[in-house]
Amino acid sequence: MRYSSQRVAYPYFAVAMLLFGLQVAFGLLAAAKYLGPDPLLPVLPFDVVKVIHTNLLLVWVLTGFMGAAYYVVPEESRAELHSVRLAYVQLGLWTAMGVTAVVGYVFRWTAGNKLLEQPFPLKIVIVVVMLMFLYNLGMTIRAGGRLTTTEGVLVAGLACTALLYLPSLLEFDNYTLAIFYRWWTVHLWVEGVWEMIQGGILAYLLIRLSGVDREVLEKWLYVIVGLTFISGILGTAHHYYWIGVPRYWLPLGGLFSALEPLSFLAMAMYAYYAMRRSGLAHPNRMAMHWTIGSAIFSALGAGILGLAHTWPAVNKWTHGTLITSMHGHMAFFGAYVMIVLGMITYALPGLTGRSEDSRETAAGFWSFWLQMAGMFGMTMAFATAGITQTYLERILGIGYLETQLKLQVHFLMLVATGALFVAGVALFLWDFFFLAGRPVAAVEAERLASARPTA
Amino acid sequence: MTKRGTRAFFVVSTLLSGLLFLGLTIDSHRKIPALTNAAAIDASVIAGKDVWHRNNCINCHTLLGEGAYYAPDLTQITTQRGAGYLREFLKDPSRFYSEERDRRLMPTLKLSDGDITALIAFLGWVSRIDTQGWPPRPILVRGSSVPGANVGGPPATAASSDPGELGRVLFNSSPPACGACHSIAPNVNIVGPSLSGIAATAASRVRGADYHGKAKDGPGYIRESILDPNAHVLAGPTFAAEGRSLMPGDYAQTLKPEQVDQIVAYLLTLK
Repeated sequence: MRYSSQRVAYPYFAVAMLLFGLQVAFGLLAAAKYLGPDPLLPVLPFDVVKVIHTNLLLVWVLTGFMGAAYYVVPEESRAELHSVRLAYVQLGLWTAMGVTAVVGYVFRWTAGNKLLEQPFPLKIVIVVVMLMFLYNLGMTIRAGGRLTTTEGVLVAGLACTALLYLPSLLEFDNYTLAIFYRWWTVHLWVEGVWEMIQGGILAYLLIRLSGVDREVLEKWLYVIVGLTFISGILGTAHHYYWIGVPRYWLPLGGLFSALEPLSFLAMAMYAYYAMRRSGLAHPNRMAMHWTIGSAIFSALGAGILGLAHTWPAVNKWTHGTLITSMHGHMAFFGAYVMIVLGMITYALPGLTGRSEDSRETAAGFWSFWLQMAGMFGMTMAFATAGITQTYLERILGIGYLETQLKLQVHFLMLVATGALFVAGVALFLWDFFFLAGRPVAAVEAERLASARPTA
Repeated sequence: MTKRGTRAFFVVSTLLSGLLFLGLTIDSHRKIPALTNAAAIDASVIAGKDVWHRNNCINCHTLLGEGAYYAPDLTQITTQRGAGYLREFLKDPSRFYSEERDRRLMPTLKLSDGDITALIAFLGWVSRIDTQGWPPRPILVRGSSVPGANVGGPPATAASSDPGELGRVLFNSSPPACGACHSIAPNVNIVGPSLSGIAATAASRVRGADYHGKAKDGPGYIRESILDPNAHVLAGPTFAAEGRSLMPGDYAQTLKPEQVDQIVAYLLTLK
């Protein structure tokens, strides 16, 4: 930590972690409902649990991104944050929006549009929060008069996230048109601009953790982001196969989504290269685990498992089965959850006023490996369930309900490995809130100044 | 490559991809109305879409294969089930499905009659969207396209004493083993013709010029076909030989009258 205002990242990370805990609790509950029967059916049916599970994910990951940006931008632009107060107001408004949304879902206040269920007034709040956030970052960069490639990619990713949320405000009478533009938000977020954010944070962490020359890492960051957009923008086509749109999206989707693993593969090679150069010397080994883990897990989950069902001739049979959950869980975890956890782990010693060189806890490492094992197991459970479902229901033509009964053993595995994962998350929260220490109230100016580069 | 070179690669590739994507979007936007039969989107379909969203259906079901995977895909549901059945089902799903047997159950949504009518209109419109041939084989809520495929499944039990539900169990039991020859999936002819949509087919067939049986309406036609397969014989390589139906002709003796009523009630749910 080099600037006092970077401290504002702590409350963002704290809110993100609380919501993360809540998100996985709802996830485990949803998994249990696959086993059935469901004693909670009258009060909390599956649809409510699922909408809370997915919306909390979006909200907390975005909270983590915001915290990460408030930590990274002052350091990169070498200036105190434009307004700490505005950052707090923004966090308050954002958290209130998130909590209102979740409570609203329980009482069935929903727009009912997958992943964009936020009712219209809340969507407006989201837009306002994003504008406050971008204004604060923009003014900070202006004051510093310095824009590095790393923070440029990060901030551009966040700005595009806000911009691409706007189509979700539109309403269409034609359901096909509605879902056509829904993917502008959902797909171009997670397979486009969020990868920019991931790439930006990854580059920042690798520069800090490995000490490899910034020029080299930033040069390749452009290649990664370029590959992301070549494959990601036209890769939207893989959501346009069977929804009532022209045929040309089929070959386009096949071709460009086959290229999508390239950017994730590039990120994994990028991290591997940096670590080989530095010899894993940085003392914050927990942050190193999460950072390299993110690069590798996203290559597997988003890259390879996405590729597994993206070709039209395959997708024709797997579309709308649990195969999608297999890919979705590992991809989101690898690309976005792990990079945020990496950022938090890296920033935590500074934020809690400790030496940045010495933070390692048994709970932290157990948390990492339990989450790894749990998510890998869940992915396998979804994969075996999805493959069986595709074969029985789609190819043999056995009814949906009979097929689901045959998947019980896989759902059992899902619940068991999900419980492992939740245990890992609980340990991370324990480490964050109870072992890492309180956030620093103020930082002595000399200590901060001595950490700043003189150039 | 220099940093300048990689930056140029990023800018140029992003611009090109973006432009191509925008161009195709404009073209698709113009073609979607024809592909989705947008002229048929009336007030009822729009109201039905609102019912769909308001009740968060997408977080259990899939529609056009998009949504959650906890409940069946509904893209073609109106071609597999009649409006009458769907109406009764939506009023109280537990009449047809049981949590003990199926391990999950749709909650009763307390929809008004108007909501149900609109929702069925919306789903009917969705079923006619040009989906490039998806799904390649009908996705059934239950049962199977090919009888016997569901090896090792639990014995068929009824969720309620509804005649149609009792008839469904009977249809899949042996004897009479109706499902051994008749699929309820569209265009799947095992030995006898597929019974997909038989309720509507029977009603129109009974009015046809080539029909010479005694039945006056759809239900009557179905009953007659069970009890006297030769009253009206369909042409098909495995349906009949020398003008005589290949279906067993002794159901009048082996089935009780109320069992025949139940099977008819079940088949009438297949629009």
